[in-house]
Amino acid sequence: MRQPVSHPQSGSIQARRVELHIPAEPEWVGVARLTAAGIASRLDFSIEDLEDLKLAVAEACNCCIQNGGDGDVSMACELQSDRITIAVERRGALSKPGARPPASGDDAELGGLGVFLIRALMDDVVYSSDQTGTRLTLIKRLGK
Amino acid sequence: MSSRVRTDGAEERFDRDQTREWFAEYATNRDPAIREELVVAHLNLVRYLAVRFGNRGESIDDLIQVGTVGLIKAIDRFDHERGVEFTTYATPTIIGEIKRHFRDKGWSVKVPRRLQELNLAVNRAVETLALELGRSVTVSDLAARLGASVEEIIESQELGQAYNVLSLDTELAAEGEARSATLLDYVGAADEALELFENKANLEAAIHVLDPRERVIVYLRFYENLSQTEIAKRLNVSQMHVSRLQARALAKLKQSLKVDEG
Repeated sequence: MRQPVSHPQSGSIQARRVELHIPAEPEWVGVARLTAAGIASRLDFSIEDLEDLKLAVAEACNCCIQNGGDGDVSMACELQSDRITIAVERRGALSKPGARPPASGDDAELGGLGVFLIRALMDDVVYSSDQTGTRLTLIKRLGK
Repeated sequence: MSSRVRTDGAEERFDRDQTREWFAEYATNRDPAIREELVVAHLNLVRYLAVRFGNRGESIDDLIQVGTVGLIKAIDRFDHERGVEFTTYATPTIIGEIKRHFRDKGWSVKVPRRLQELNLAVNRAVETLALELGRSVTVSDLAARLGASVEEIIESQELGQAYNVLSLDTELAAEGEARSATLLDYVGAADEALELFENKANLEAAIHVLDPRERVIVYLRFYENLSQTEIAKRLNVSQMHVSRLQARALAKLKQSLKVDEG
């Protein structure tokens, strides 16, 4: 039987980074969710935080998939002693039918409901989407 | 579980001008009919959000119901003159209401338990399925047999241990023993604090009164069943300090649970 994961204490973890590339297809989003949850569970996040993180990662991936672009969706998770930072990115121009780069006003802020949802679940979110690609950076801190 | 309906964001665009007009009007006259219009116009938003929490073991209908309560609160509190889109304003309120629902249901105790149970069920099913199929078992086989998604099966195996809220009846693997012991067998004499743990399903709510360090100590002491000395070693502090922190944590918990009951 697997040894239980020992419970890391705050401060005992150095910054660690894991990168993942998945095909830009919905059926691969689960892999990103699992990976993010697996990495985040090395910190002392609550179940609720872990679930929120999974949901936010899935939405971020879906956002990249829907916006279009070239090639894979990449996810870089960086673990620090008090937080996890997850950068989800897909390069290339928007290709969603009827999609336009959110240049100004409401649309720049909007970026679809998925981004609202992510903002409501994470502590910090940076979102950008333009002709060079779609990028989301999500930060979740411990004990919030 | 896998029926996570995906709605394209574009379909969720509301007629913003109409919404603004309604809010302007509602701000002046608080007309229930307009409130009704606003609620109906944003039910899609509630549904969109509720569906995303649908894999946490509550029915979508229940989530839509509590989410709608959040929507109504948001409508009543929304200040249309602040120049924020209503959707931006309402989303956190609706999610807040949905998450409160999970908290009230003791969800964060149930989820780890479900994963743990799935973890054990997988271990059992692997053997029986292998015999039935006459070959090695795949994750898809297990998912089909146990009525769970592939992702859940993997998660239960990978994270089942990390989500370390163990049932006292959890069987502990013991090599070379006919009967595997349960966690309960390792629990010592009746301890007031432990009874508290057994009896209070809502302890999870109370645990929020603890600071992270106290939480770790309670966790290690009562879930991992470590001695104070072992905990002291792990946390690199003195045993006396662990003892003090533990006493303080338990006092806080008792206080919090008393307040909840009262």
